[in-house]
Amino acid sequence: MCLAIPGKVLSIDRSTEPLMGKVSFGGIKKQVCLDWTPDVVEGEYVVVHVGFAISKMDEEEAGETLRLIREVEGMMEGELKSSTDNSGIS
Amino acid sequence: MVKTITIEPVTRIEGHAKITIHLDEQGTVSDARFHVNEFRGFEKFCEGRLMWEMPGITSRICGICPASHLIASAKAGDEILSIRIPETAEKLRRLMTLAQWTQSHALSFFHLSSPDFLLGFDSDPVKRNVFGLIGEHKEFARRGIRLRKFGQEVIEVLGGRKIHTPWAVAGGVREAFDATKKEHLLAWIPEARETVLLALETLKKIHERYKADIPNFGNFRSLFVGLVSEDGGLEYYDGTLRVMDGGGNIVADKLDPRLYQHFLGEQSEPWSYLKFPYYRPLGYPKGMYRVGPLARVNICDYIETPLAEAERKCFKAMAGDADAMNNSFYYHYARLIELLFSVEKIEQLLHDPSLFGSHIRAKAMINRDEGVGFCEAPRGTLFHHYWVNENGVLQKVNMLIATAQNNLAMNRTVRQIAMHYVDGQSIAEGMLNRVEAGIRCFDPCLSCSTHALGQMPLHLQLFDVKGILLDECVR
Repeated sequence: MCLAIPGKVLSIDRSTEPLMGKVSFGGIKKQVCLDWTPDVVEGEYVVVHVGFAISKMDEEEAGETLRLIREVEGMMEGELKSSTDNSGIS
Repeated sequence: MVKTITIEPVTRIEGHAKITIHLDEQGTVSDARFHVNEFRGFEKFCEGRLMWEMPGITSRICGICPASHLIASAKAGDEILSIRIPETAEKLRRLMTLAQWTQSHALSFFHLSSPDFLLGFDSDPVKRNVFGLIGEHKEFARRGIRLRKFGQEVIEVLGGRKIHTPWAVAGGVREAFDATKKEHLLAWIPEARETVLLALETLKKIHERYKADIPNFGNFRSLFVGLVSEDGGLEYYDGTLRVMDGGGNIVADKLDPRLYQHFLGEQSEPWSYLKFPYYRPLGYPKGMYRVGPLARVNICDYIETPLAEAERKCFKAMAGDADAMNNSFYYHYARLIELLFSVEKIEQLLHDPSLFGSHIRAKAMINRDEGVGFCEAPRGTLFHHYWVNENGVLQKVNMLIATAQNNLAMNRTVRQIAMHYVDGQSIAEGMLNRVEAGIRCFDPCLSCSTHALGQMPLHLQLFDVKGILLDECVR
């Protein structure tokens, strides 16, 4: 399953071609090409595919997506833990 | 119950796609594996939720091609309601599906694949990306951006600014088409068509330029699976499944996609999180099949729009006597043929008066406890399978995605490239670039490829027959 994690646009360098920006995914900062979302501004969120921002979303939308992803991840973490317990390895 | 959040999704961002190559006693390549550390547990997560929430949830989580998940999910809902949706709703969903194809195929060709082709596989990796492309082929790159924007505009006109709002729902769609936007969208068509034709012209020159490389790019016989229309035409929204073999023979036809589990199995391997679907009658792994553009253009008898049909005939002529194109490199060609079809078909649909009807949603209660929704997503056939109770609460979910269906073939492609480029005890120069380009033919949707700009982070290891590491490279 591919995962569309929204990242927050921290800064945009308008002097370069293509348009590039620094995007934070929960603290991990990546250089992302913003050519496909030229009207994005700092503080907005983008969904990134292979280093290209493919769509932008506002904070509310991004928050909802991140909440969902965390919920799934949290559930998986719980599962991994219980399967380890069952195997008797401590 | 409040769930504690223990890990952040960021752990998914820094991952590498790991490839291991295994040699036999003679030192030749016996196997190559593409290890995928993917996101699991999503289906389980959906259990206990309302079926009505699924279009919104799946298009949010699988946000690389949200419109396709929206459509497949809504169609599963139609099945559970036992409903036939209004004609206008179906036309609008068709338009949405094509807009997703346009957007996705434009990105794949213009920005992901063309740096390899236009700048060369052995060019300086620092420049062999979108920066290099814009430096040397600025107008070409710009045109690609505009073409993708056209797809995006169609999606926005249909579903509003926010694609993640579930526009498609069980029974139809939520909003009618705003007829005042018709001319605005039609105005894009001539430029969009011209851009795809230019891309086709460019790709044909690339075919000439890489004559020596292309035969080693995932060139093997396999089955091809996809939807076709009632009379065998290229289909993207409905229809039935056709299975073709590598010799171009139709081995199964008019299969009901709702019964996909009868003929498509899903195998797991301990070294990969991504499942390995296969065609059941041939067993595993012999039942390897490919989905997506190459499969769709191979299996259909015709394409309903004139320019795309003319290109399909050229494509078939290149396949030669086999009547099926078996070389994965030609995914790119098939993708552009589909892009041309999308532009032509969007134009046709925009002239169709039934697009502007006001009946867009049929309503019903839960009338079945199971439903399969399917459509052709940009990368291949997509299935959403839901089991619900009498209140529409999900009891079980199974999703069969395109990238998984190409998993066996992607591994096979990597193996073929490895056989050609592994040089005794070491990994030959240029191997990494070619493995990446080989995987890219399939345009896979994987977390490891999501965040690295242009280049896929790869970790390649070469092992001898005893499992001793001989060589490795990382980037």
